[in-house]
Amino acid sequence: MKTLFSRRSALLRLAGAVAGVLTVSVARTAKAAVQKLFVSTSAPNDYDPTKHKWLMCIDTTKCIGCGLCAEACKRENGVPEGPYYRTWIERYIIPKPEPGSDQTRGEPLVDSPNGGMHGFPEPPLPKDQIELSFFAPKLCNLCENPPCVQVCPTYCIGCAFCVQACPYGVRFLNPVTHTAEKCTLCYHRITRGLKPACVEICPAEARIFGDLKNLSADDPIQKFYENNRVQVLKPHLGTKPRVLYAGLDKGVS
Amino acid sequence: MRRFKLPPQILRLVLLTLAVVGSYLVARHFLVPTSFGEYGWYRGDALALIASRPPLYAGKQSCEKCHSDILHKLAADAHKTLSCEACHGVSREHIDNPNIPPDKITGSYCIRCHEANPSRPAWLKQIVIKDHYGAECADCHPPHQPTPTQ
Repeated sequence: MKTLFSRRSALLRLAGAVAGVLTVSVARTAKAAVQKLFVSTSAPNDYDPTKHKWLMCIDTTKCIGCGLCAEACKRENGVPEGPYYRTWIERYIIPKPEPGSDQTRGEPLVDSPNGGMHGFPEPPLPKDQIELSFFAPKLCNLCENPPCVQVCPTYCIGCAFCVQACPYGVRFLNPVTHTAEKCTLCYHRITRGLKPACVEICPAEARIFGDLKNLSADDPIQKFYENNRVQVLKPHLGTKPRVLYAGLDKGVS
Repeated sequence: MRRFKLPPQILRLVLLTLAVVGSYLVARHFLVPTSFGEYGWYRGDALALIASRPPLYAGKQSCEKCHSDILHKLAADAHKTLSCEACHGVSREHIDNPNIPPDKITGSYCIRCHEANPSRPAWLKQIVIKDHYGAECADCHPPHQPTPTQ
């Protein structure tokens, strides 16, 4: 009777499997080497990440809601079309309290049409019913204690745990690569001595960017610290953000 | 004394466990990117990959080389904080080859910032287009020197 698995065929299959594994291994090493070669030729190699500590400061009293930052970010970083933003602008409209109520203010209305990329339409309330209104640019808060990293199980497999864990909602899954994405402070620009695209393009100097490890004599971030009362978003979470805000209202989180 | 013999079902269980754990370790070895964990809880090569992206926005200092006269004018008036590319658009290619104009699509026009909106801060000059003069903005407010002279 003919057996289904002879010793010879079993050994052959085993040898085939071993050869396959070895080929994959060699191919991976070769691919990594080629990638490294390609990358090192086009990227600046005199940049030492340990010699910098970047900081973003945002003055919401200066933001005019033009949306140039959101547009520039999307363009500069090749963020896919659609509701995906690494930085965006939120509009806060705080209505006057209902007449006769014991409240100091109404329930805040927050919107961000297209991330504010193409500006903001007329507010949904008549002007005389608005107590206070302002814009608040948002981006990755660059936490010293990042909740997104704590929940990350492995290299990115698109599980989106980090998207859920981020208390600031700055992460998203890229619809093309299916991996998680967020602001990198334009790493490809800052490693070349340029400012991040949003900072470069902001016409009102609402975004200030600097390096805590290389402060110059009259550094804009030093001035920002001295001239403003700064705060961070959701400080009670203990995430220690490295994005500082000036002129924030209590309604912003 | 009788010699202890591992019951065959336990032996099978042990072998099965070893096979499962072993194949997990082998699969993990081949699936995890080689540079993972090089600097932290991420793929180390990702840094170099992001850094290899060519910047699109050239930056105001790149314009200085050829257009210092305009930048000088700009610095003297209300638009001094504006980046050139805020209005003229992405200019990386223009810097490398002046014959390629900046990308107008990403540029902006006056009303993007100056259209009246109650959410805008009071210090910003704002107009309601239909109540303002009917001419072209630049007739009275040349963008590089927007404050009218008379």
